Amino acid sequence: MEAASRALVTRALIVIGCLLLIPITAVLAAAAKQRFADGPNRLFSSGPLVAGELHSGPEPDWSFVDDVQTIELQLLDPPRARRIWTTEHDGRLYVWSGYMGTMVGRLWKRWPIQAERDGRAVLRIDGKRYERQLVRIESGEILDGITDAIRDKYPSRLTRESVEAGDSWVFEAAPR
Amino acid sequence: MWDPDSADHLMKYFYWCIAAALVVTVLAVLFIPGADDFVERTFQGYVGRAAR
Repeated sequence: MEAASRALVTRALIVIGCLLLIPITAVLAAAAKQRFADGPNRLFSSGPLVAGELHSGPEPDWSFVDDVQTIELQLLDPPRARRIWTTEHDGRLYVWSGYMGTMVGRLWKRWPIQAERDGRAVLRIDGKRYERQLVRIESGEILDGITDAIRDKYPSRLTRESVEAGDSWVFEAAPR
Repeated sequence: MWDPDSADHLMKYFYWCIAAALVVTVLAVLFIPGADDFVERTFQGYVGRAAR
């Protein structure tokens, strides 16, 4: 009788595991499909940014990004792109990543760690590509202005303190 | 009454159903417009909550 009930429990676990395979497969298939796309959609990273004119010439007036909700960011190493928020402050362009203080967040958001290692990046904004160098800003008064600009633009609770504590990582997208 | 033979038969049938469901899932995500976006949006919601 005990063996029978043990077999029943084992089978129930197998059934649950098999049913869980369906959403896991859906997520893996969606992520794999995105990897071959020119540009990310939401969460999953895409391949390199290929389409779009490559900007050359003087530094752009970045104030136009105030009207842009998200941009596409591709690192050169690894050559994968994701969609992120951006803001302009004092004529400079910034990108950032939250959730860096939690284990799940650091597993999910690997691009900031990769960008700190090699900051060469390509941004695509409104269909135009810009070659930039991501430079992490870990502390300093400038973070007050940047985080103010971020909170003005987005429903964000980012503060200088949270950046300095390492919960969020802020990068300037500097000229390359 | 628990019948092991009948259960084995049912499990075999279940495995075939799961295999078919997995194939349909992959094909749907790859080829049905909007299916991949739905999966990504749903997954983003779960990951976002877990990361907070």
